[in-house]
Amino acid sequence: MTAPADRDLILRARRGETEAYGELVARHQTNVFNVCYRMLHNRHDAEDLAQEAFIRALDRLHTFDPEREFGPWIRRVATNLCLNHLEAQKPTAPLDEERDEDKTQSPGEQAEVKERSEQIRAALASLPPRYRVVVELRHYQDLSYDEIAKELSLPLSDVKSHLFRARKLLAEKLHAPD
Amino acid sequence: MHLTDERLNEYLDNETADKAGIEAHLHSCKKCAARLSDLQSLFADLDSLPDVELSANIAARFSPRPSLILQPPRWLTLTTTLQAAAALTALVVAAPFFSIMLSQIETPSFTTLLLQLQTRWTMFLNALSALAANPVEEFQLPITDYPLPIAELSALFIPLAVVSIFWVLGNGWLLRNQNR
Repeated sequence: MTAPADRDLILRARRGETEAYGELVARHQTNVFNVCYRMLHNRHDAEDLAQEAFIRALDRLHTFDPEREFGPWIRRVATNLCLNHLEAQKPTAPLDEERDEDKTQSPGEQAEVKERSEQIRAALASLPPRYRVVVELRHYQDLSYDEIAKELSLPLSDVKSHLFRARKLLAEKLHAPD
Repeated sequence: MHLTDERLNEYLDNETADKAGIEAHLHSCKKCAARLSDLQSLFADLDSLPDVELSANIAARFSPRPSLILQPPRWLTLTTTLQAAAALTALVVAAPFFSIMLSQIETPSFTTLLLQLQTRWTMFLNALSALAANPVEEFQLPITDYPLPIAELSALFIPLAVVSIFWVLGNGWLLRNQNR
């Protein structure tokens, strides 16, 4: 038996079938959580906002066109929530101590990957929220400049300047000579 | 003249209309090629960031749990129980009266009743046949010597009481199943 498509689950969820929305959440929760984790660099906040994103999406499900892909949409809902969260809080949020791990690699390689991933996450977390969000949308959600401008209601010139400055800052932090 | 940061970024993002011009410059300018390489390295770093496993199952929070199923209010459960108890008591108290009442009502047996009905039906059909054969004659419904049994009004209370008890007990049973 093949699993129902996202579209079918959305239609069923619209009719009030909680299980169908639960299945939809199960499919996309890891991706949505990772959007939040890249943006916030804090596991607890990331889980809270990922859940909040799914609650918001459920509230707006009747306005969502089921012919569109659910994944990109829910990731953008999460991105906007994270941006609002970052802009509402003070800039000195505690960063997670958690390190990334890939179990397919040797312990030495794993340690290297963890360290490098942690550097990248820390560099991302050090960016101003507006810079962070354009990096997320461009690099991890593959949106074009125009799509980012539309999503964030920003002029195209601002999107470009945020993105290019963000990359410059990241390069300075990540590629600086030790 | 070197390429600006903006043009290099747009080139890597596939957001430029002058791709050929930029590539021609990169072939001839080592400095711009090195800047492009640095930017590509940053892209690779960002792409290499692994996904992190989710420790909590968010989906579970969207699945219905037994505790979230609406429970009937306590007063309703209590009322239903009291109703059932009252109905049973009434039945027990009324049972002797019902038995006396039943003995007073003259009701033919089921077989007799069926026979009477069959006879009436046959006579009715015969009368219809006679009418069809000779329509001039005045049509009269056949009269039988078998009066149909007419139950006393009080006898209706018995099925009414039984139905009420079944209704109350049935409701209670349904509510219990919903709670589960």
